[in-house]
Amino acid sequence: MGVDEARHTEPAEPGGGAPRPEGGSNKGWALRGLGLLRVLRDDLWTFVAAPLPPLSRPRRFRWAPHVLYCMIALILMGAVPGELDDDYGLTGGFGMAFGLAQGGAVVLALWRPLPAWWLSLAAMFVTTQTAPRTPLVLPGQFPAPRPPHPTPMPPWPWTAPGIITCALVLFLLALRARTRVCAEVLALTALVTVLSAPAPVRYERTAPAALVIFTIVLLVGSALRGRREARTQLVELSTVTAEERARRTLLEERSRIARELHDVVAHHMSVISIQAQVAPHLVENPPDELRENLDGIRKNALEALTELRRVLGVLRSENPGDPYGIGSGTGAAPDSPQPTLDRLDALVENTRAAGLEVLTEITGEVRPLPSGVELSAYRIIQEALSNALRHAPGSTVRVELGYFPRGLQARVVNSRPTRPAAPSPGAGHGLLGMRERATMLGGTLVTSKTASGGFAVACFLPSPAELPPHDEPTGPTGEKNR
Amino acid sequence: MTSGTIRVLIADDQMMVRQGFTVLLNVQPDIEVVGQAVDGRDAIARVAELAPDVVLMDIRMPELSGIEATRRITEESPHPRVLVLTTFDLDEYVYDALRAGASGFLLKDASAEQLAEAVRVVAAGDALLAPGITRRLIAEFSRLDSTPRAPLKARVGDLTERETEVLALIAQGLSNAEIAERLVVAEQTVKTHVGRILVKLGLRDRTQAAVFAYESGLVRPSGY
Repeated sequence: MGVDEARHTEPAEPGGGAPRPEGGSNKGWALRGLGLLRVLRDDLWTFVAAPLPPLSRPRRFRWAPHVLYCMIALILMGAVPGELDDDYGLTGGFGMAFGLAQGGAVVLALWRPLPAWWLSLAAMFVTTQTAPRTPLVLPGQFPAPRPPHPTPMPPWPWTAPGIITCALVLFLLALRARTRVCAEVLALTALVTVLSAPAPVRYERTAPAALVIFTIVLLVGSALRGRREARTQLVELSTVTAEERARRTLLEERSRIARELHDVVAHHMSVISIQAQVAPHLVENPPDELRENLDGIRKNALEALTELRRVLGVLRSENPGDPYGIGSGTGAAPDSPQPTLDRLDALVENTRAAGLEVLTEITGEVRPLPSGVELSAYRIIQEALSNALRHAPGSTVRVELGYFPRGLQARVVNSRPTRPAAPSPGAGHGLLGMRERATMLGGTLVTSKTASGGFAVACFLPSPAELPPHDEPTGPTGEKNR
Repeated sequence: MTSGTIRVLIADDQMMVRQGFTVLLNVQPDIEVVGQAVDGRDAIARVAELAPDVVLMDIRMPELSGIEATRRITEESPHPRVLVLTTFDLDEYVYDALRAGASGFLLKDASAEQLAEAVRVVAAGDALLAPGITRRLIAEFSRLDSTPRAPLKARVGDLTERETEVLALIAQGLSNAEIAERLVVAEQTVKTHVGRILVKLGLRDRTQAAVFAYESGLVRPSGY
């Protein structure tokens, strides 16, 4: 019993044994409750740091709770010794020690609420055990009536500073700890309070009020913790959703690109099927072999067209919001052909009409490029111009096209916007699509802010200049027809 | 204009397609390609200039789409009939083209024979769409709000009971012979009815008659 008491009076020291505040005089009981005690020990006898984080807002007062707690701790340190002296006749060293314990518990709770709780509980317990008469009155003697005390009607067993200390500590504890731990803490506090409660009649009984306050504080703290955790989960969830959305955007962008390219191929195919029919009419009395051959070409082109329509159907059905998908994503069936760089002038003109100053500069020897390259270059420039319209109102945009033997370089650079851009949702998807288009063609795309406060998009789309006609048709340049 | 020769204008933004169709159609003794247009705007100008019987119209063209060009051409003059040619047989194209006043719809990869036949059929005003297209047209109409448009419904009142019956059968895609069989009358009688229907309703041809039948609510898409 004495050993158990000793553990209680110095809870801040790692004792290693199971906390048994009830004093555990019965070994059989202790054995039967061993499982419960082990749970209690695991839950409560830990010194794991659980610091109170600063407030997320308002920024200026983020450390306010900590400051407040430290100030309260100082006041308690000052108030406790006097109170103990007045009410319990505890003077000098005791008063100072308990004052330090109470104040220390409040400060400690900011980092380690569990040990702080032990400390405040122990301070109360020791006070009640020490106050009426020294040496200690052992709990085993309860509920023996206590001898009269000289001071009239002091609070018992919880002093006012004790209640404040313990309530503050429990509040922080409830903010950090699981609900089960809070319940255990409350139960243990209640148990110790009840064990310490039997007091001389002249004392004012504070046990019920203290327990009510502690319960409320724990409930409020737990509720706040629950709310914060729910909010954290929500944030995590929305992070996941954002990632999911980004992935979906990427896929949608890819299938849009795929649709456009299939669209281009389908048009080539239908031209082939027409030409294969036309060819026999272009010669007098075409030989049968030629007819058969051209029939074969037409048949293959028709089969390819059927497959292409099927692929486009699949790509379309995955995206119900854009059922036809081979246009600009407006959802309607497109009524203009997939653009090439021939249409660049019209695009620039439209952008000018929308209010931007656009300068174009074309260098190198202009030559027709494969449809895929022209389409991608057009779309990248289109997206860059539309970004400039959205994010850099009033700026001047330079569109530079450079034809090199190894491919096409396109740069769209806008100057610093002259007025703030209206916030626009869905920003960034455009960059994603541009990069996809460039990467798909084996090219590169770089975007960056410029030194003057503007924005630059630069891409290089490889497309080797056509080799002299006597060479075998090679790779992607072979299908050129424009 | 030589009687018996169908004068055709080809509107497509791809030169290869224009040249190809020109060769394929000029082979036919009764068809003559009188001009080519490179986009919708050009098509309107060429129609005004050349007054063709049939316009082969691509839908996806720069400047002005084939649909819009079709609308303007058919509004402008009752004469030319528009046969829409596209790479994709998207329902929306079919529907939009017919609403715009087109008389027929064909895929670009149709065979030379199909192409020539379609031109003849459209030119004769007997045109109706291929059964498959008719079915899809009906499906398209069934997706729409089925509330008939009041002015159209009022015009149905101008028809006799027999003519209304014939119009409903046209909308189901039946030929004159089939309608004659169904109503147990001579084919010539049906032709007379069809002619009166077109005149009374101010319609271009059978295709537009079918579109009218659906839009006026005379025929409800069902059973297809």
